[in-house]
This record gives sequence, C-alpha cells and structure tokens, in this order.
Amino acid sequence: MSSLTSALPPAQGTGARVARWGLYLILLLFAAYYLLPLLLMITTSFKSPEEIRTGSLLSLPRDFSLDAWSYAWNRACIGADCRGMAPYFLNSIVIVVPAVVISTIFGALNGYALTKWRFRGANIVFGMILFGSFLPSQVILLPMAQTLGALGLAGSAGGLILVHVVYGLAFTTLFFRNYYVSIPDDLVKAATIDGAGFFQIFTKIMLPLSLPILVVTIIWQFTQIWNDFLFGASFAAGGAQPVTVALNNLVNTTTGVKQYNVDMAAAMIAGLPTLVVYVLAGKYFIRGLTAGSVKG
Amino acid sequence: MATLSINNVRKQYGSVEVLKGIDLDLTDGEFLVLLGPSGCGKSTLLNMIAGLETISAGEIRIDQRVVNEVHPKDRDIAMVFQSYALYPNMTVARNIGFSLEMRGQAKAEREGAIRRVARLLQIEHLLDRKPAQLSGGQRQRVAMGRALVRDPKVFLFDEPLSNLDAKLRVDMRTEIKKLHQRLGTTVVYVTHDQIEAMTLASRIAIMKEGVVQQFAPPQEVYERPANMYVASFIGSPTMNFVRGTLSAEGDRLGVSVGRERSGFLPLFQAPEQAGHWLGQEVILGIRPEAITCYDPAIAAGNPALVKVACGVNVLEPTGADTITYVELNGHEVVARIKPSDRVAEGATADFMIDMARANLFDPKTEQRI
Repeated sequence: MSSLTSALPPAQGTGARVARWGLYLILLLFAAYYLLPLLLMITTSFKSPEEIRTGSLLSLPRDFSLDAWSYAWNRACIGADCRGMAPYFLNSIVIVVPAVVISTIFGALNGYALTKWRFRGANIVFGMILFGSFLPSQVILLPMAQTLGALGLAGSAGGLILVHVVYGLAFTTLFFRNYYVSIPDDLVKAATIDGAGFFQIFTKIMLPLSLPILVVTIIWQFTQIWNDFLFGASFAAGGAQPVTVALNNLVNTTTGVKQYNVDMAAAMIAGLPTLVVYVLAGKYFIRGLTAGSVKG
Repeated sequence: MATLSINNVRKQYGSVEVLKGIDLDLTDGEFLVLLGPSGCGKSTLLNMIAGLETISAGEIRIDQRVVNEVHPKDRDIAMVFQSYALYPNMTVARNIGFSLEMRGQAKAEREGAIRRVARLLQIEHLLDRKPAQLSGGQRQRVAMGRALVRDPKVFLFDEPLSNLDAKLRVDMRTEIKKLHQRLGTTVVYVTHDQIEAMTLASRIAIMKEGVVQQFAPPQEVYERPANMYVASFIGSPTMNFVRGTLSAEGDRLGVSVGRERSGFLPLFQAPEQAGHWLGQEVILGIRPEAITCYDPAIAAGNPALVKVACGVNVLEPTGADTITYVELNGHEVVARIKPSDRVAEGATADFMIDMARANLFDPKTEQRI
C-alpha cells in the first residue's frame, strides 16, 4: 500500500506507471464489486420470467419490459393484499416526511440551546443525548412497545413517527450541536443586545446559517428512516407498514414460481427515494460533513 | 447620553473572584477606557454593563436607573464587538437596521435611520453587500453603524480595533474620537493598547486582577501614576525605576542613588509624607523624556533640572527620538534624546534630569509616595 501511494504524485519510470495502472485495476475491481448487484437488479427487473430462466444472469434484457415494475407497483400480492407496493410506498412517505422534519427541527433547537444558551449541566445533558446514538435499536423495542401501547399509538403511523423522532433526536442534536459550536457566541450576544429573543435569534440568525448541516441531517434522517425495517416490522400493523416491510413480505410470500423480476423491481422501488435524495443533495452532504472543520 | 455609575461591583465564578469591587462614576458624555492586560476582568465588566453577564454583587446605574436586573435590550446601550459579530446572512443595511427591526419600527423609518448612519460612516455604497464581501475596515464601520443607529445612551466597545492592521487601526482610532466629539455620547471602551487608551479617553481606569489601580484622566495617569504597575503599563519605553535612599543635603530632600556623592538627586517638590521616609529605601520613577542632554541655557532657567554625568551604553534611533541607554551611578536608565543631541556609544556626557516630573514609590507596596 505504501509503495503505491508514494508512487502517486508524478508517475515517472516504468515501475511507477505499472503501480499506477495496478492501482486503477484494483479500484475498478472494487467498483465492479459494488456495482454488479445493482446492475443485476436493474437488468433483471426489465426481463421477462422466461428470459430470466433461460438467459444468463448478467446479460442485458433482450425484450425490454416494464411489466415487472408496474406489477410490483400496483398488482403484486403482499400477504393477502394484492394492491402492490404503492400503498406501502405512500405509508413510508407519510411516516418519513413528518419524522424527518420534526426530528431535524428539534435537533436544531437542541443544538442551539446546548451551545448558545449554556445552562448548568448542559454538558451532562448533551452527554446523555449523545449516549442515545450508541443505543442499538433492538434494545429499545420492548420499552418502546409498552410506551406506544400506553399512549394508544400502537400499530399506527403516528406511533412509528414518534419512534423515529425520538431515536433520531440523538443524531440530529449531535449534528447541530457540533455545527453551532463553530458559530461565534458574539453573534448571539449582539442579537440579544439588538433585542432579539431565543426564537428570533434561532430563526433569523442561526437557521439561515445552517444550510449545510440541515442538508446533512435531512439526508441522514431520510435514509435512516426510509430504510428502517426493524421498527417498521415491530411497531406498524398491517395497513400502516412501511415499504421495507412490504418488500420483505412480497419477496417471502410468493407462491409457485419465484418472480425474480418483480422482486427486483419492488426492491428498486423501495430503494429509489434514498438514491434520488443522494443524487440531488449529495454535494451538499460532502460539503456539510467538512463544514466547520476548516474556517472560511 | 447618560451618566453611568458602577458601585462596588463584584463578579464571582464559583469560588473565583474575577472583579473585586469596582467603583467608577462617569458623567454625561465621558469616554472611559478600561485598560489592562488580558484576564484583568475588563471585558467581564463591560459584559456586565451590557447585561450579558450577571452581577454577583454591587450595582450598575445607567442614568440613575439601577440596571442589574434589566434585560440588555432594555438598557439602552449598544455594543461593538472585537469580532464585529455581523450577521453573515444579512446585508449591511439589514445588519444595521436589525435592532430597529426587532423593536418593530416601520420599514420606511428604519431605512431613513440606516441611511443617516451610513452617510455618517461613509458606507452608503456598501448597504447591499453581505459582511463576507467587506474588508476588515469596512466591517468595523458596519459594526459601528449597528451601534449608532439606535442612538443609545451608552456605547460599549470591546477591543474594536484589535483585528485591524496597524495603519487602519490608527485611522479608525481618530475616527472614533471624532465621532465621540460629534455625538457626545457616553462611551465605555475596553482595550489593552495603552496608546488607544491615552488618545481616546477622557478618563482611564487601569485594571489588574479585578481591581482598578487608578481611575484618572490620561495625562494624570501618565504623570502621576498611582503605583508602579500603572507607571510601567503606560508609556513606551517604560518609566525608569531606580532604587535609592531618601536623604537630606542641607535643607533639601533628595534621593541618593549609588554610593557616590554625585548620586544625590534633589527632589524639586518633595511629597508631604517624604519626611517619614528619610533614610529609607525608595524607588525613584523617571520617564525617559525627563532625562535629556545637558543644555546650560535651559538648565539655568529651571531649578528642577539636575545635572548628572552618565556613560552611554546603547543608542536606538527611532527617527523622532533616539532612545539612549545610559548608566546612572550603576543603574541603567533609558533616556529619550533628540537625534541632534546624540552622544556616541561608550562616551560619557552630561545629562539633566527633570526632577519636577519624578515620582517616588514605596518599594514594598509599590504605591506612590
């Protein structure tokens, strides 16, 4: 490894050139290793069952067909319910959007209060919140089930939103707290003298400065909550289940011939939103992760 | 415009006492400079006047009103921060008008006030820019504009010039002084720069470890420092301190420096208590400019001038003056000499000390006698 990296800057001589091409080769192999499953899923989802059985696994589809996608979307049977993935996709949106928005807003407020309105024991409170991000999600299943039962939210989308908000707060607070630490306290002092209160300073000064960390938090929370399976499977009943649980049920409950193309299309449907979010906001994500580490 | 009085104000963080009973009284329109090294509590005191820190004991009055429990926004003060603390997301105009916006002033009225201040500070052309697009000096002006726009009773400045380069700092210093002359508002200004303090202040409060060492007009602080700390903090090069014994020669009191008889420096106007110190060790404080080259014509007309012969060790020309290190009966002292009077290094020459400007200090307490 060290010989490769030391050869990196100007490639001179045959040895260095060989090392460089070797490096590219290794990178290509890694890229292929990660991209092959995706390629397999995409091609399979566009093939007919016939072609899957007869053709090679990696070949491109001969007859390009969207049948599997439309079948997975609104005809596939999930359990006894044959309305496809669509209603569950909608469930996920109904859960994810409020959960992301609420957990992000409260994370920002927490981070703001913990850094700019320091109170006695602020560090202990932050430490305890931080501890929440190290809790394995399995640990909270039983107590959370009891809490949801007591609140009358068991099995509902509302209950699942609450779970995701509470579990996500540890992370969102951590993100915003670390971002706001780098914003000078003098800004808050100046605004206080200018006559702005707690929420005015938050909305008029802190939030407009928070775009990079907002994007990071939204992407993080969106992917976490959208991809969540455990909480969805544990706390949502029947019609309220998110798309990940529906996908699992779809793939596991098919009888007769396995419809690989439908499975793959359904998996793509379940995974697309997070991909889209990354593509749209990815550059802000990288920027946000490094923001604050370098003083502008 | 207002008076400001600070009565026995203390600040404690846990068991650490940062301010140990501060008493300062300002009349209307005064320019107070809090001067001291970092950690002396000057910024804490300023923050307490602003209301950003609580007051552990004592009281602060602005215009006779006790403000201990008054929220910063209701104290009718404005503050300029060392970091300027401009809101990065807002234009210059909105930065300046933010305090009016928060007080619910109508937009048209606000814009009038912003334009008036911008004209005063000559930043009208910058109103639509964001702080990141401004140079240091321009940011400084905007920060002042933000303070000026509300016409507060008291201005607070927290080391406002220390982030500027040397040339700009001098320019802005003059500008602050002009602004104060024009507006006549009461000002509290924190700095560790003695020149800023001397040039701007109507009175200086020199602080050390949470205690005010001296509270007086700049010239008095310079000429009659309350103790050796103040004497050495102000003035560059610093005041010479020479150990000697208070003695009498005939009916004149003086300080004997070194063993030789020529080391007797008669005091011009001995302090009243000086008699108690006869025969005891004292510290004689002489400003460098009080030691000059001997000129018989000048010496004849001024009985305070004492002639001494000194060896010259080192010369440091600064252009306007030549800083000369001379040997005064075994003590090295610094003299500020006119370049035309310069003496060669290693030579011995006659100098004269203006004993009317001499100070005496107690070697134990370091207080002025």
